[in-house]
Amino acid sequence: MKPLRSDHFAAWSRTFAVQGSWNYTTMVGTGVAYALLPLLRRIYAGDPVRLRESVERSMRPFNGHPYLCAMAVAALGRLEQDEVDPATIDKFRLALRGPLGTVGDRAVWGQWRPVCALVGIMAFLLGASPGWSVAGFLVLYNVGHIAVRAWAYITGWQAGLEVGRLLNGAWLERWAEKIWPLNILLTGAVTLLLAAAVVEQAALSLAPAALLGIGVVGALLAFRFPRQGGRLATVLLVIAPLLWLVGGLVG
Amino acid sequence: MSWSELSLGPGTWLLAVLGGGLLGMDAVSWPQVMVSRPLVSATVGGWLMGNPVAGMLVGAVLEVYALRHPPFGAAKYPDTGPAGLVAGASYAASGGAAMGALLLSVALGWALGWIGAVTVHVRRRLNERIMSPAGELAADPGLLEQRHRVAIWLDGLRGAILVAAFLVPSMLVVTLVVGTGPSSLGRYAVASLVLGLAASAGAAGRSSAFGVRGWPLILVGAGLGLLLILGGLT
Repeated sequence: MKPLRSDHFAAWSRTFAVQGSWNYTTMVGTGVAYALLPLLRRIYAGDPVRLRESVERSMRPFNGHPYLCAMAVAALGRLEQDEVDPATIDKFRLALRGPLGTVGDRAVWGQWRPVCALVGIMAFLLGASPGWSVAGFLVLYNVGHIAVRAWAYITGWQAGLEVGRLLNGAWLERWAEKIWPLNILLTGAVTLLLAAAVVEQAALSLAPAALLGIGVVGALLAFRFPRQGGRLATVLLVIAPLLWLVGGLVG
Repeated sequence: MSWSELSLGPGTWLLAVLGGGLLGMDAVSWPQVMVSRPLVSATVGGWLMGNPVAGMLVGAVLEVYALRHPPFGAAKYPDTGPAGLVAGASYAASGGAAMGALLLSVALGWALGWIGAVTVHVRRRLNERIMSPAGELAADPGLLEQRHRVAIWLDGLRGAILVAAFLVPSMLVVTLVVGTGPSSLGRYAVASLVLGLAASAGAAGRSSAFGVRGWPLILVGAGLGLLLILGGLT
């Protein structure tokens, strides 16, 4: 039986919880099965044996970016409806894992989320209230988030087996390659504004020009050597309150 | 501000714990709308204590730190939802003005984020047990749905426990520091945080750049920030 529109909506809305039972054995596999169930129940209505077999298949190890898992859920549902043989479905799942993870990670976690967060922080540092700044971040981010999930689901259902080919060079990947300069630009601007806000809050006589110079050199070195830069950042974060406390104790 | 002036009613505590549950769930389990980002969670913590501006300042610092930990593949990253709430609430409860309290709130928030990451790992191990045996779950799809939902609720419980366990101790410790005024080492403490922010931003920029060629953009961005400050727009 063909899934109804309500089944598609139920499956799509369940993709918001696709990582709910993430574990080291099946990764997001059990979540994919959970999201697929509304479709599978309709497709195999009245045939519990085939339903059990398809659920078992769906629970097998799988991984991918959680937003793009909507594409996998819809495409797998389409293959089940089209009665594609199980061996092909297994191969398809395996082939989809890499691209779904890479494209989603680079575009959403690597670009979209930082850009939206930096816009929110910048709004705050330029005088917007915390409420508006946070609301701006959440609205901006989730417009993109929900659009990606909807696009992924619709594309997955329409393309079925062809999804892998469509992902290669998809708009999401091209878009990520275009937006990264904005991301870095905002990172530089927001960090400087935030550092200035912290210095102002401190109300201490600091040498702002020297601090700016050392900060710029530090940022550039961390850009060149990110692992060491990240470690240094953590050490400095821990040292800061310790210095304050020790200074306060010794007078 | 001293301990005797610190106030946290049972209603506010309960709200914070419930909020911690929701923020704990959001990062991975459901619905991933990013209320778990420190920018949001710390502001919520500050708002619960009546000072969202203080909460957001802590959240902004934690966010810049968190930017260099994108959850790519199997990378480890801090659980910033409950941690941000505790850090933002602690700084706001301390009055939201003392520099020492800001430095300590941010450091505590970062440490709690990594403690949260350990609990995420434990929960993933627990999920392996909840979601097995596979044959039994496949035979009864209703059971699969039920177990999946239990796993989500457990993630919420994890976040709530983190806030319940760390909120009051963190508030007490941060408030204790408020009385410690600036000293000769104060300027070095502030410089340490500022340099930490710069290093973190550099490392974060690299993780989002496609190769090493983006470094001049950090400078251009910093220049833009400087112009905004000199232009009096901040």
